[in-house]
Amino acid sequence: MEIDRIDERTPNQLRPLICSRNVLNRAHGSSSWSQGDTKVLAAVYGPKAGTKKNENPERACIEVIWKPKTGQSGKLEKEYEMILKRTLQSICILTINPNTTTSVIIQVVSDDGALLPCAINAACAALVDAGIPLKHLAVAVCCGLADSGDVMLDPTKLEEQKMKAFTYLVFPNSVFSVLPEGSLQVEGEPVENGIITSVTQGLMSVSFKFVQVEDYLHCIERGRAASAKMSAFLRRSLQSQLPSDTLKAG
Amino acid sequence: MEQRLANTWRLTVNEKKFIETALQSELRIDGRRPFDYRKVAIKFGKDDGSAEVRLGHTHVMAFVTAQLVQPYRDRPNEGSLAIFTEFSPMADPSFEPGRPGESAVELGRVIDRGLRESRAVDTESLCVLSGKLVWAIRVDLHIIDNGGNLVDTANIAALAALLTFRRPECSLGGEDGQEVIVHPPEVREPLPLIIHHLPIAVTFAFFGNENSMVIDPTHHEEAVMGGRMTATLNANGDVCAIQKAGGEGVLQSIIMHCLRFASVKAGDITENIKKAVDSYNIERALKKVKRKSSSVPMDVDGAGSNLKERQDSFVHQKGMSAERLKPIHEESITDQNEDIEGETKLLETRKTDRGNEVEKNFVGVLSCWDPYSKGVDTDFLKASLASRGTSTVSKQSNSRGEKMSSEARLEESSEAAKVEITELAQVSRQTNGEKTLKDAQLAISINFYSQHGTKNALSVCHLAESGISPPPFKHI
Repeated sequence: MEIDRIDERTPNQLRPLICSRNVLNRAHGSSSWSQGDTKVLAAVYGPKAGTKKNENPERACIEVIWKPKTGQSGKLEKEYEMILKRTLQSICILTINPNTTTSVIIQVVSDDGALLPCAINAACAALVDAGIPLKHLAVAVCCGLADSGDVMLDPTKLEEQKMKAFTYLVFPNSVFSVLPEGSLQVEGEPVENGIITSVTQGLMSVSFKFVQVEDYLHCIERGRAASAKMSAFLRRSLQSQLPSDTLKAG
Repeated sequence: MEQRLANTWRLTVNEKKFIETALQSELRIDGRRPFDYRKVAIKFGKDDGSAEVRLGHTHVMAFVTAQLVQPYRDRPNEGSLAIFTEFSPMADPSFEPGRPGESAVELGRVIDRGLRESRAVDTESLCVLSGKLVWAIRVDLHIIDNGGNLVDTANIAALAALLTFRRPECSLGGEDGQEVIVHPPEVREPLPLIIHHLPIAVTFAFFGNENSMVIDPTHHEEAVMGGRMTATLNANGDVCAIQKAGGEGVLQSIIMHCLRFASVKAGDITENIKKAVDSYNIERALKKVKRKSSSVPMDVDGAGSNLKERQDSFVHQKGMSAERLKPIHEESITDQNEDIEGETKLLETRKTDRGNEVEKNFVGVLSCWDPYSKGVDTDFLKASLASRGTSTVSKQSNSRGEKMSSEARLEESSEAAKVEITELAQVSRQTNGEKTLKDAQLAISINFYSQHGTKNALSVCHLAESGISPPPFKHI
């Protein structure tokens, strides 16, 4: 069933993605990521000595600061910071620089739906720009569930408000390697089928007794398919950076 | 705490000596002379009241919002203006999150004095219901990148945002005329703020030896300077505020000299701001017109003539990769197509519903996309990211960048077409992912879908920017 979205996309179409790196001068790594009208600026300051009080000093620590567009930072911003921190912690190689703090600062420039996925993508690109060692990249999408049960990808703000439920899903990006396929699988499944983070809002059924509704699983499937496209885009945009980048000495 | 201090950036003694010695021969480390101001670049966001200003490497964003509140008791007829400054930790490694430091507070106060206490913004017009409801205007300044001279940049950003901000119109209704009805922007056009004059801040830095001074210091010079002074003046020659908080003592004659220079500079910057705001207003008006008159036929001749100009700029593009795509409108330019390099593939665009012409001549790679003309209705943007690899961004495209940013904002109506990036388009056919991707790379398929605002037009040109270090413009 075709749903009429306001901007006439099909339910499986993402908004145009734009990614630019090295947008700031003082930051060690920076990137700007926009999906349609949602735009987020991310900056990374590379490993600084010392970790915070409650952090494990034998590992590197990631600190996330989320700056909203207007107003003071409140509980919602703290929640975003926590989600982002945990997601980034799982993709960074934390054992390389123990007892250091890497700061990731997110600035919301405009918000038109799917803000957290946009921020996660921006943070990833900024980490790459700063040269922080990562295991793999993370690709985030937002899947919404309309009242009729159809799954829509990358909803705008208006669509998000009308939906029954939506979920932010973060997948590892697809692996591009010369090694044989089997060696990159984890327990028989390819790495990119894993889910790093999932945040849902609203009611979403997992399985219904007699009728297999499984909305959440549908969302995951669609999200995974979208993430394959997005990780191809991410790979292309990150690759074209010239090797003669000037070093930033702080 | 000590470890945090260890992370702050300090200037070495050699660098200090170098900067000071160079100043003695009237040279600055970025090549300017002592009284040269850096170039100011002002950009506006999609919403009313959002501005982004760059002064060299310094980058500040300003957002203006308004709310209906109760007025202060001693001023029942006036609205209020509040300025909130955020020194984001992304601007400088020494900026800590949390409570604003002294320099953040000082910056906020200087801008506040310049704008509010000089009565630049008219607060009496913000009154809706005397004693009960007034508009409270809030300006949020985000310092994104600290390249020195934050005060001036933040001031310009605040002014640009205030000049383009529109507040909803409200009227009194109800039985006793005490009810306030706020009209949404679709029903009634929102109103601009009344701004009497533009106070411009100009900062000077003083150095110990030989009383040398410079205008618009960079952050290296700020680390070396002995004292600083900010003079806020307007184009009429009125001094709105002067801030010289400590630092070295300076002769009176030098202060007067600075003020005179500042008034000249203030005039220049005011011109600059007004020009940027005017062009934004024109685009905004065009956008409104397009939205309302859905069946205005496009001027094909005008389009054709504009195309001719672009032809020259495209000539040098010959020899670029064959993957360049050039979507061209089907009605116009078919005759001019022959001139364009044979390698490029020409695409036909789908017309929008309104039958308005879509006119966008651009080479499908990087930021070489060239908006077409003021009369044009909708833009469509390109597809193939494949050609990003050949990112020899020509200087031409860079120089056109300026034109692009202003023209690109030329908006279309809410029904402007936007090109969907082909790879992203077909997520549903994911199962044959690779194949779709390859098709996309040869892409002839461009999907259009309507959208509000010009954002996409600008944004797609950023597609390619990832490979290019600092492009001349970075749009919001």
